[in-house]
Amino acid sequence: MLAVLLLTISLGLVGFALDATFHRSAEAGLQARMESLVYLVLAASDVDENGLLTVKDDPGDPRLGQPGSGIYAHVYGELNEWASPSSLAVALPELLRVPAGESSFMKPAAENDFYTYSYGVRFELADGRMLPFTVGILVDSQELLSELQAFRSGLWRSLGATGFILVLAQLVLLALGLRPLRRITQDISGIESGKLERLEGNFPKELEPLKRNINHLLDTEKANQSRYRNALDSLAHSLKTPLSVIRSSLPADASPKTAAMENAVDDMQHMIATRLQRAAASTRSSIATAVDVKTQVERLVQSLKRVYSQELINIDVMIEPGLAFYGEQRDLLEVAGNLLDNACKYGGGQVRLSAGASDPADPRIGINLQVEDNGPGIAKDARELLLQRGVRGDERVEGHGLGLAIVLEVVSAYNGEITIKQSDMGGALVSVSLQTR
Amino acid sequence: MRILLVEDDTGLQTSLAEILREAGYAVDVSSDGIEGLFFGEEYPVDLAIIDLGLPGLPGLDLIRKLRAQERQFPIMILTARSEWQDKVEGLEAGADDYLTKPFHPEELKARVGALLRRSAGHAQPLIELGPLKIDLVSQRVFNGEDEIELTTYEYKVFEYLLMHPDEVVTKTVLSEHIYEEDADRDSNVIEVFVGRLRKKIDPQGVMNPIETLRGRGYRLNKQPQST
Repeated sequence: MLAVLLLTISLGLVGFALDATFHRSAEAGLQARMESLVYLVLAASDVDENGLLTVKDDPGDPRLGQPGSGIYAHVYGELNEWASPSSLAVALPELLRVPAGESSFMKPAAENDFYTYSYGVRFELADGRMLPFTVGILVDSQELLSELQAFRSGLWRSLGATGFILVLAQLVLLALGLRPLRRITQDISGIESGKLERLEGNFPKELEPLKRNINHLLDTEKANQSRYRNALDSLAHSLKTPLSVIRSSLPADASPKTAAMENAVDDMQHMIATRLQRAAASTRSSIATAVDVKTQVERLVQSLKRVYSQELINIDVMIEPGLAFYGEQRDLLEVAGNLLDNACKYGGGQVRLSAGASDPADPRIGINLQVEDNGPGIAKDARELLLQRGVRGDERVEGHGLGLAIVLEVVSAYNGEITIKQSDMGGALVSVSLQTR
Repeated sequence: MRILLVEDDTGLQTSLAEILREAGYAVDVSSDGIEGLFFGEEYPVDLAIIDLGLPGLPGLDLIRKLRAQERQFPIMILTARSEWQDKVEGLEAGADDYLTKPFHPEELKARVGALLRRSAGHAQPLIELGPLKIDLVSQRVFNGEDEIELTTYEYKVFEYLLMHPDEVVTKTVLSEHIYEEDADRDSNVIEVFVGRLRKKIDPQGVMNPIETLRGRGYRLNKQPQST
């Protein structure tokens, strides 16, 4: 916008300068033309021995003979004067008499005035007398004005065209020049949304330093992030060992003091586990590969069978063939693992896991997972409490609490939903949806 | 029963060893993976508790190496990593159970007892031997309704024989599984324990559940023959 304004102003200045110059040179040209007309008229003039002036009515310029043509000649002698036929019916102003050998050029004082050029001469008569004459040429100012107007309109048209082309060229150049910047903008929003890791691709040489700096910034940021995450992670994990020491050093009595300590350690454990999961869930990488749900669930089932081998637990797995989870394998294991573990722990030995795609048309949208058992189930009023994030201390429902709290963190990271119902097997039915898009 | 505890945090190692010894186990401790592997290979271990984050040799590698060498004793993972990804990897490496820190000592004892029973083929913590009932959880022995008072070492000998029924167990093996590595051992003491144990569980000498095989050792008969 500013460029367009500057362009207009400078083109305008150029226009005015050209206009003024043209005006000056046109006037100079007119003066020269008028001078030559003077000589033409002089050549057509004659003075007899009495000093009477005669001028041929056609001094050599047809416009002088054509009435109202705009060019007029007037000769003043001592005894008589002559006006060109063109001045018929035209009121010409009186001209200054100019001494012989001198000339005077006058510009029009008003709009409908004349350019006048007067030239003083002397005729030598046969008897040796010298008679002064003044030859005046008058040119209607309209003459020059129309010339000037023609020039002006041509000038402004071409200046306008030039301006238009320049503005257009500027816009095109801007668009071309800004295209890489626009690509950088796109790439950065791609990085924000997690589709890209860093700025890739070829940019013009001029933008390479910018690309390098942005990438460097991203790398530093990423390194910082992972440093914080690792620090947090190792802090949380290293807290667990001292917590174990505290717990194993507590006296094996049921005094209120011991119970209070036990509670405090429980709280800390709960906080560490859920916060860790929350931190881990927020670092979900966006380039998701397909995780085969059945394979992962089978791993869990094998592991749980090992752990619960002395109890008779039967885990039924019903998974749509080829079901894939487009998220983190870790998160899938965490959700299914905790739900299955709870079902094994609190159920009556019969556990069923079923899983399917949220939308069979697009498997990338997400999956639904259901785990049910034949245990005592979960009381209706406990269900809501269990599904609140960040419930702690005495409000917590014992047993299902920690595992389910972790599941909640994962589910919320995937914008999913979780519900607890009554299973037709008799126990609890926990249903979870995980959205991967 | 002899337990190998590999845990690099000395505070936790000390208190865990204390809890396990109080529970009647012989406990060998190690603070790094390489030493732990050596103990696991060389000692007559009945159960190992292995921390995953170990210096020298990571816990998972330690478990894999022990399993690769056909060491079949139950292994319990002790870990600060509570994610299922880690649990599954640990169990797939050959562990039988996992316990995430911080844990209740009671839970540790219960899990250790359950693992030992499971490896001996006992699904239930209550073993019946003729008129005798042995509760492996509370470590109490009953003859009918009457409780038989056993000393720690008498119970340890009895428990080991119960876990290896119908097997010949030498005095050396018994002392190895009852005492820790650096303990003072005397195989005559085993004879004394077995003698006292026999008198307590079978005062009339009618059942004779523990048979002496001269020069070879002892054998606990699951179906004691009345003589």
